[in-house]
Amino acid sequence: MESGPQQIGSVVIVGAGIGGMQAALDLADSGFMVHLVSKDSAVGGTMAMLDKTFPTGDCAMCMISPRMVESSRHPNIKIHTMAQVTEVSGVAGNFTLKISQKARYVDSEKCTGCGVCETKCPKKVPGEFDQGLAKRKAIFSLFPQAVPNTRVIDPDHCLYLTKGRCRACEKYCDANAINFDDTPQEFNLKAGAVLLTPGLDTYDPTIQQELGYGRWPNVVTSLQFERILSASGPFKGEIKRPSDSKHPKKIAWIQCVGSRDPHNANPWCSSVCCMYATKQAVIAREHDAEVTPTIFYNEKRTFGKDFDKYADRARDENNVRYERAMISAVYEEAGTGDLFMRYVDRHGSMKDENFDMVVLSVGLQPKKDALEFARIFDISTDEFGLPKTSRLSPIETSRPGIFVAGTYQGPKDIPETVVQGSAAAAAAMAILDKSRGKEVEEVSLPPEKETGADEPRVGVIVCHCGINISQTVDVEKVAENAAKQPSVAHAETVIYACAPDGQERIKELIKEKGLNRVVVASCTPRTHEPLFQDTIREAGLNKYLFELADIREQCSWCHMGQNEVATQKAIEIVNMNIAKASLLQEVKSESVPVTPAAMIIGGGIAGMTAALSLAEQGFSVHIVEKEAHLGGLAAGVLHTLEGDSIRELVRRKNLQIDDHPAITVHVNVQVSKTEGYVGNFKTTLSDSSQIDHGVIVITSGGNEYMPTEYGYEESDNVLTQRQFERRLAEKKLQKGDRIAMIQCVGSREEPHNYCSRICCQDAIKNAIAIKEGTPDAQVVIYYRDIRTYGLRESYYAKARDLGVRFIRYEVDNKPQVMPDGQEFRIKAYDPVLEKEVIMTSDYVVLSTGLRPQPANEELGKMYKLTRNEDGYFLEAHVKLRPVDFAGEGLFVAGLAHAPKNIDETISQALAAASRAGAILSQSQLAVSGIIAKHKRDKCMSCLACFRACPFDSPFIDEDGRVSHNEVKCTGCGICAGICPAKAFQVNSFKDDQITAMIDSLTDSVPIHQAAKNSMEKNDDPNCNCS
Amino acid sequence: MTQTATAAETEPEKTVKALTTDNIPAAWEAQILAFACHYCAFAAADLAGVMRLSYSPNVKIIRLSCTGKLDHSYVLRAFERGIDGVFVAG
Repeated sequence: MESGPQQIGSVVIVGAGIGGMQAALDLADSGFMVHLVSKDSAVGGTMAMLDKTFPTGDCAMCMISPRMVESSRHPNIKIHTMAQVTEVSGVAGNFTLKISQKARYVDSEKCTGCGVCETKCPKKVPGEFDQGLAKRKAIFSLFPQAVPNTRVIDPDHCLYLTKGRCRACEKYCDANAINFDDTPQEFNLKAGAVLLTPGLDTYDPTIQQELGYGRWPNVVTSLQFERILSASGPFKGEIKRPSDSKHPKKIAWIQCVGSRDPHNANPWCSSVCCMYATKQAVIAREHDAEVTPTIFYNEKRTFGKDFDKYADRARDENNVRYERAMISAVYEEAGTGDLFMRYVDRHGSMKDENFDMVVLSVGLQPKKDALEFARIFDISTDEFGLPKTSRLSPIETSRPGIFVAGTYQGPKDIPETVVQGSAAAAAAMAILDKSRGKEVEEVSLPPEKETGADEPRVGVIVCHCGINISQTVDVEKVAENAAKQPSVAHAETVIYACAPDGQERIKELIKEKGLNRVVVASCTPRTHEPLFQDTIREAGLNKYLFELADIREQCSWCHMGQNEVATQKAIEIVNMNIAKASLLQEVKSESVPVTPAAMIIGGGIAGMTAALSLAEQGFSVHIVEKEAHLGGLAAGVLHTLEGDSIRELVRRKNLQIDDHPAITVHVNVQVSKTEGYVGNFKTTLSDSSQIDHGVIVITSGGNEYMPTEYGYEESDNVLTQRQFERRLAEKKLQKGDRIAMIQCVGSREEPHNYCSRICCQDAIKNAIAIKEGTPDAQVVIYYRDIRTYGLRESYYAKARDLGVRFIRYEVDNKPQVMPDGQEFRIKAYDPVLEKEVIMTSDYVVLSTGLRPQPANEELGKMYKLTRNEDGYFLEAHVKLRPVDFAGEGLFVAGLAHAPKNIDETISQALAAASRAGAILSQSQLAVSGIIAKHKRDKCMSCLACFRACPFDSPFIDEDGRVSHNEVKCTGCGICAGICPAKAFQVNSFKDDQITAMIDSLTDSVPIHQAAKNSMEKNDDPNCNCS
Repeated sequence: MTQTATAAETEPEKTVKALTTDNIPAAWEAQILAFACHYCAFAAADLAGVMRLSYSPNVKIIRLSCTGKLDHSYVLRAFERGIDGVFVAG
């Protein structure tokens, strides 16, 4: 952007699901102002509705909730809920967006989120978030953990807004936050780039009446079943069926509802349903061991990292039955609510079977307003209404400066959505490199008072939280008791501690009463501690001189109606926190300078893409490549399935890298050693040159498996798909040539039990090329499951239309290839025909999978990176940190992480560049305050901490003794727990502070007399314990 | 640590007096101290409150940065000072 209009340092992100939030956080951390626009009343998107996630079984809400809180608290992120973009003008670098925001009728400045209004509201309506399985009120929050937690009034159902009577919410709101006069707003936002992450809808199965949805109550959608499984769902995690609340035992899942059906529904594969059905079946059995799940499927598409192993475990250990069958109709048995299905099983015989409940695995499809949405942003769409992107630039739309990510770009799972969120952020950072940091606000704070040596003067503020706490806990009594504690200088109650007036009161008290420690007794520190820490910091206190006593979530809300015991418990909780607070010490957080350069290990497509993105963001880049040229594995491939030229891509990227002054390429070398830590690495290469850099991106790639099976080594006419692609490009086939392709060669069975993801597309790509070039050539593909996931499904359909034959085989009964002169005879058992089929062929093409790069083992050891059992690097978190390593400043992308297609590699490389850029854009890297502090004079260098620390923070220093790198420390305290000399103490969780809490509690709780006697140890004359 | 009554009779000099059902008053309730990880178990305790799930008020929670921070001394001190059960969750 050398010329043209002024470059804006803000980015508008439309859609606040996990993809949008990821992009927002990356951009905000990199010094850009972000406007996160959500049409819903809260952020979170679809992921917030899910119970658990595959393949780890982690709780979705536990993962997404911290992201939501982080997004709402980030000083560089402004969230606009209930808002939509209605107009976009301008060009890349300088857009103006018109935003129209609906009336919320609740003032978010005044609302404290206490929720009394919701309990008092008399009007109940079916809840959208629980998919109609439970009711919500007319004033409501989307879900219990909603961010922002300001309730919203539904004007279509509110009794006052529809009939002019009620106003109960207004009457009971002590914060005066209800505003019935609220009106819709319109305003403009300026942005340098726009990211579209609105997500997709699920298919509405009422259209397919034969499946009984909407007619038989015990036929539910998979999203409804997620809510049924969820502990915060309509049945609180108990598996019940809607008609009679009975616990269903036999549950059936029907796959591909609304997907892979070009005649009645959508032609594409939704990519996620095979795995989510498997997960739901496994989790259902965790909830109720008597559940017997059956999944009716067409093709088992468990193609992701560690997915096949997960599905195998589901089948072998969790008794999930997979039945390859098409279900054409579901009937209800009169009077029982049970469901009855008739299907043709894998042997071709008709079967009848009854189930207690049926789950429809509904696919993903564009939202109803997808075309209008695309029109507003003036971007091109494909024939399905999805934004037009290409395999080689998957996040770029037809309009420069507007990028897409997540399921809106095409069906995908959570980690790929997160990857694309980061990738789109990187694309925005690359075009806005000149305006980074221009629009973010610096906060100025008064100097911190030195209070270290002073006697503790603790101030205690006990919050009523409207009536949330005070209707169960006698807050005045809690404050009176607190005032009696030895270190307490002042205690009082407030109606809402978190409201602006409550916070002002805290600041006043600090000044008036000379407080040097503050305890607020209200809600959970997980959401509110940062707020109060900021408040006391504004009053000049170090923010770590604060404790939050949780007497709402962990007391008043779970002991309702037991006012006396709840009050006693609240007193004990508050006193424990006072005991800790009086021992709290100031924490000075350090910061270290950052070298604004990246080292990229491996110069394939992933490495080249990451390098270019980081260079465009304005950082220096070193690519370290062990071969003589860049390009990696992609250099041996001609085209993608969609026809994009990969050679051209490699050539273009090589030219761009040559031209870019910030990129240095080191070929024919390897890393010898790396020292240092995030922000400050120093690497020596095998040619003795040295690089200073702040981050490391590992894009070391993978290898093509070279087969030994099916006579590959014996005949020139047995080839791999890649060799065949090149042969096909050189020489056209003869009329009548016969080609047999065999899938899953060296994949999906032990010891390489994983799907390589690329082989099905390779086979389909070459099969289409054969049939288009030589229509009367004969192509037979022997396969286990064709995994043309997402929009690739249309090429599978095209191959079938062109006359490519598909013969399925089972892993324990593979095809046999017998050379016969110049030909091959291929004998295979067709499970559909239940017969052996013998075909003759001129070529045998083997679809061989991918293997990890052998160098990964060395790299793993060098940087202490874990690999999965197949040898691919393990990311920090399978779902939400897909390109980060657990160690700070290290990132991964491409085949080093797992087998994937080129568009996925490109997205992941951009994502790694985004995450790396967020670190490199800081001039100083702040070290967290909650870290372990190491006392060298106490340390015996026994190495217990060195061995136990997952982050390699303790290290052996030059003098041979242990030192501690606080930059790497996360404050988990494993070192402190294990250290026999107690040389480690974690700030704000020091041993004396925790012990003081235990002592405070045990001083006040009624201790059983016998226990006291045994403690005194003198009631037994024979006892000699001392 | 806790031994059966029979064991206590045969080796009285080595035992701390054990709690048995005979010497526990009817009104007695166990005092439980939980050490919870900030990121998961503490969040779960919060969710229990959000969902208004009820449990015994005799459970008190101390938040740790991670259950890796748990020190043996915390558990021993709690028992020594009369806590009946320690629950570590993370």
